[in-house]
Amino acid sequence: MTERDQIHAYLKTLSTYLSRLEKAEADEVIREIESHIYDVLETQTETADLETILDGFGSPRDLAASYVEHILNGTPPPAGFKAIQTVKKGATKSLYYATACFGYIISATLLFLAIYKFFDPNAVGLWSNGNGESVVIGVVDDDPERKVDILGWWLIPVFISISGSILYVTRRLLTILKAAI
Amino acid sequence: MKPDVTTDTKWDAQLRKGTLELVILAALKGRHLYGLELLNLLHSFETTKITEGTLYPLMDRLKRDGVVAANWQQTGDERPRKYYNLTAAGEEKLLSFTTRWRTSVADIEYLLTNPGPAKIAMSEDR
Repeated sequence: MTERDQIHAYLKTLSTYLSRLEKAEADEVIREIESHIYDVLETQTETADLETILDGFGSPRDLAASYVEHILNGTPPPAGFKAIQTVKKGATKSLYYATACFGYIISATLLFLAIYKFFDPNAVGLWSNGNGESVVIGVVDDDPERKVDILGWWLIPVFISISGSILYVTRRLLTILKAAI
Repeated sequence: MKPDVTTDTKWDAQLRKGTLELVILAALKGRHLYGLELLNLLHSFETTKITEGTLYPLMDRLKRDGVVAANWQQTGDERPRKYYNLTAAGEEKLLSFTTRWRTSVADIEYLLTNPGPAKIAMSEDR
């Protein structure tokens, strides 16, 4: 990873954590820090070292926290604002758990089907009745009549990769939602 | 007795924390500095060394509070930099901080130079 990539990665993570700020404000924070880092690297070449500079800023998460602190507990909010914040926080919390449940269950189901296919290949499949009117995914007693198994053995890699992607997206979403709780 | 290094460092950190705003305002008095210049200036003193991660969010807050103003400037081919300076409200705040600081230093100094068992004179006689 080059220095430039490292700086880019740091600023990118920082900007994710700054999402509570207005975009223009967040951009200005990023711009100032970027300017500082390059300034030190270019002008204080004999003592400058990227690790030390980034250490001085601290982790992107902590740094962002000091910038958004005032939003959470800074200037006294107008009357009624607290209730809105609580509701917003509650909504984010339910969204967090809903996302977690939904994502993990779908991902686990697909993985389960892929593994089950090994043991009982005829019972698991993705069937279509031929003219696309209905599609059946899952475990059934018998191979449904007049229906075409679209994937066959391909079901295993396809379901595993979809399951993996859903797992990845779920985890990413949860990280973002967690920051907002 | 050997001085306790950890306690000293902790105490230094607390003192620095408490006086930070005064230090920044004093450093900007009559000066127009960008972040790195301000940081280097603070690093040139023994007790005012702070990290980037402390300075920048603090400057952001001081700007929101209206005690400093910031503007981006670019000279020639150089990188654009965000310069800070005191506003009128900042000058006023610095003035009142300065008064409180000097009173506090004088009080502590008085205590240090007047150990017991002699009684300490009440404030009106000092």
